Amino acid sequence: MSRTGDLRARIAAATTDRRVVNAVHLAAWRKVDARAESFAKLPHVEALRDKAAQIRQHVIENLPRYLECFVERATALGAQVHFAPDGAAACRTIAQIAAARGLSLAVKGKSMTSEEIGLNVALEATGVRVVETDLGEFIVQIDHDRPSHIITPIIHKDRRQVARAMAREFGCPYTEDPAELTKIARRHLRDIFRRCDLGITGVNLGVAETGTLCLITNEGNGRMTITRPRVHVALLGIDKIVPRLTDLPIFLKLLARSSTGQPMGAYTTLINGPKRPDDPDGPGELHVVLLDNGRSDILTGPLREVLRCVRCGACLNACPAYRNIGGHAYSSVYPGPIGSLLSPLLYGHAYDDLARVSSLCGACRLACPVQIDIPELLVRLRALACTRQPRAKRVLLRLWQWAMQTPWAYRLGQRLMRFLPDDGGGWTRHGPGLLRAWTDTRDLPCPAVRSFRSIWENELRDEH
Amino acid sequence: MSTDPQPPLTAAETPGGTGPLDAFLHALRRRTEAAPHPTPLPDRSNAALRAVRPAEELAARFAAEATAAGCVVHRVTEANWLAAAKDIVGSLSARLVLVQPQPGTALTAERAAALADALATAGRSAVSKWDDDTLFNCDAAVTGVVAAIAETGTLVCVSGPAAARGASLIPPVHIALLDRTQIVGDLFDYFDRLANTGSPANINLITGPSKTADIEGILITGVHGPGVVHVLLLE
Amino acid sequence: MDVALFITCLSDTFYPRAGDAIVRVLRHFGCRVHFPAGQTCCGQPAFNSGFHRAAAVLIRRMATVFEPFTHVVTPSASCAAMVKQHGPPLLADDPGAHAASVRLAEKTWEFCTFLRDRLNVDIAAHLQAREPVTFHYPCHARSIYGLDDLRAWLSRLDVRPPARTDLCCGFGGLFAVEFPELSAAMLGDKLDELAATGARLVICNESACTLQMAGGAHRRGLPLRFKHLAELLAESLGLMEAAA
Ligand code: SF4
Repeated sequence: MSRTGDLRARIAAATTDRRVVNAVHLAAWRKVDARAESFAKLPHVEALRDKAAQIRQHVIENLPRYLECFVERATALGAQVHFAPDGAAACRTIAQIAAARGLSLAVKGKSMTSEEIGLNVALEATGVRVVETDLGEFIVQIDHDRPSHIITPIIHKDRRQVARAMAREFGCPYTEDPAELTKIARRHLRDIFRRCDLGITGVNLGVAETGTLCLITNEGNGRMTITRPRVHVALLGIDKIVPRLTDLPIFLKLLARSSTGQPMGAYTTLINGPKRPDDPDGPGELHVVLLDNGRSDILTGPLREVLRCVRCGACLNACPAYRNIGGHAYSSVYPGPIGSLLSPLLYGHAYDDLARVSSLCGACRLACPVQIDIPELLVRLRALACTRQPRAKRVLLRLWQWAMQTPWAYRLGQRLMRFLPDDGGGWTRHGPGLLRAWTDTRDLPCPAVRSFRSIWENELRDEH
Repeated sequence: MSTDPQPPLTAAETPGGTGPLDAFLHALRRRTEAAPHPTPLPDRSNAALRAVRPAEELAARFAAEATAAGCVVHRVTEANWLAAAKDIVGSLSARLVLVQPQPGTALTAERAAALADALATAGRSAVSKWDDDTLFNCDAAVTGVVAAIAETGTLVCVSGPAAARGASLIPPVHIALLDRTQIVGDLFDYFDRLANTGSPANINLITGPSKTADIEGILITGVHGPGVVHVLLLE
Repeated sequence: MDVALFITCLSDTFYPRAGDAIVRVLRHFGCRVHFPAGQTCCGQPAFNSGFHRAAAVLIRRMATVFEPFTHVVTPSASCAAMVKQHGPPLLADDPGAHAASVRLAEKTWEFCTFLRDRLNVDIAAHLQAREPVTFHYPCHARSIYGLDDLRAWLSRLDVRPPARTDLCCGFGGLFAVEFPELSAAMLGDKLDELAATGARLVICNESACTLQMAGGAHRRGLPLRFKHLAELLAESLGLMEAAA
């Protein structure tokens, strides 16, 4: 996907998939409205965002110290901490944990980090069966699809598609009733939860001061995943740290409200090490896999604010571009505004042009609970990649710059624009050459008969 | 800006070990330049950001928020809580009920025993064990909670020698006994308290029933956790 | 008061009437208006597109062209933001040019805020319209003036706000031609919002947004007309004939 052409074609195609666009519009607006409503009811909401942003910024500026502390405390609580420099290493580590203990049935909580490193495929290749347990991810898995939103994986699907997948997979009678569909998934997964031996989750935030892991879920699948199996593996991006336990509630107040408009997710779980010897249930082993996978490069680069992100998904819902193409058009695990930043940073230059898929309207910035100035960072990313833009574009730009530096050329340009075809009413309907990119979808007004400067010269200057 | 008397953390400044993590942290420390305008760690206290006024009537706020989150709240007294519990169990036509007394909660051993008796006379069997068959087959679980948060209508359940994590999770109905004195106002209050006490291995902040909106954004309750949460609020 | 008009390349070429109106309104409130003929573009399209060297050249040029003046007024909030916020950092390496760009940043005003804050004009009190109006709130104006200002200025008219006041029109500079299908899809959402208000006159203070929305409305056959607030103000004050 290195060339803008491919990306443009993919995005153009996505805008015409009415079913997806309608589904995403509906769900995203619902979340935007729910978020706005819940934020309106939260006292001191701007001060909370300020503080959340500041805490996260402070952490990324001082990460080594906090990570070290986190590792020390988590270890003291009985967790085994592993470090993975990249996704392959993380997959290997987890596969080794499974192999050494003979674990064969893994249940997973929804984790974008695990999507990022392709964990399911890697584990299945070693003979471990991996079952997604979040309803949306479960449907993605049985339908051999990909998630298209970091919070709402099947935002692009309607109930008919879910119904067909369920009927095909389980041979059950066809139903489109979301409650029935949910029941089918529950029944199937209950059996899995009784038998599973490995639980894999992401982590919303880790607490440096205490070594605590915080995990938020709505369905209870996350709790099942860290309760039933005898081994729990938590995959934690090195950036997802807050300093103190008392910092957590700031994020808890903002996170669910930003994601879904709920004051709190149904289940916020704080994990302090594995099961204690006299606890009746819970995993006997807790492994924390700390994942770098490019994060330390972001941390030491010019866009490090992006690591403040707590993956709430609010910027996706708020984004008019995302709403009109859905998540798959981005061809990345992380779509939407935050994805347009993260994907080039994590996956390299082939994704550079994602940073251009934005009108910079700033709705994302207003939605972001940690106040990441996403448009500003997108522009910064575009600037870093501008020498890799197609040659023709760079030449045109140079020409344009020259014209704008050269008043007679600027005026000549204005005059030349009058030769564009006029439909008789002052509109160009079919622009030539490059202008087709405009007139294929919109009309272009013909330049005014007299530019402002000519009105000024002839009338306004001397009039008083 | 930080008013912490000392740096809040006491991370060792020199990497002691030689594993890949230590090497990584060591390298990261070398690569991380000090920010030109360092961002200070904000004050630990969140008192100025509270959502619940200290004077607010906590039981009423809790009941309202928990109800909004989808719980069924019953305001009961010492005199009638048993009858209320029996009614709930009766209305569920539940046969097997897990009753899990836990120190530090309102469900004391005595209350649990009284409840077990009451249920038995009503023809239900109350058990207090945590094998898989019980957890997956019982119709409801009755537990205490260690705290509740008025701001969000949240119940706090923690693991411990007498408390299975599965009890408030696996059965389809969760019935929680809460004493009004256990309610704190704000989420901040709960974490302030938590920061000053030892922490169990597993702490669950439970806000309403298990839910999903994955299919077309339509809210469905009871996905993997309980679809129904009753709170007996003892006044 | 002496004021230099920075017309912007788009208004100069496509929407000169807004400039005409601004000149008349400023004169009406006692300003002497100048128009430095050497002005072209502030470099915003290049800046937003990541071509910061080109943008730096143009900002430096702008600072020189407007150096002699004490106030610079522009119809466009986004060009004002370009000059005020993004310009100086681009010239950080050249102390002389940087200082000039800072001077330019400090004296540049978006037209409505200049009227309000510098000339103490109660904009709302002067506006009249014979028909219902709605408005488009340009995204890039957020940093210059708040959403509620535009609404407040129109408050004495029969104003029909769109249900989602802060929806982007989908223009976004080069974005509009790099991803034209997506830009047009976003435009479609915007036009749906505007059409649903029932008003036919749209107040839009950003010629780039107007270019996009008017082009889309014309293609779809929607009877929407677009005006800069300055035009409505000049008409209300009797400084201009009401345009069709
Ligand atoms: S960038 Fe901000 S809004 Fe977007 S997912 Fe991250 S935290 Fe949420």
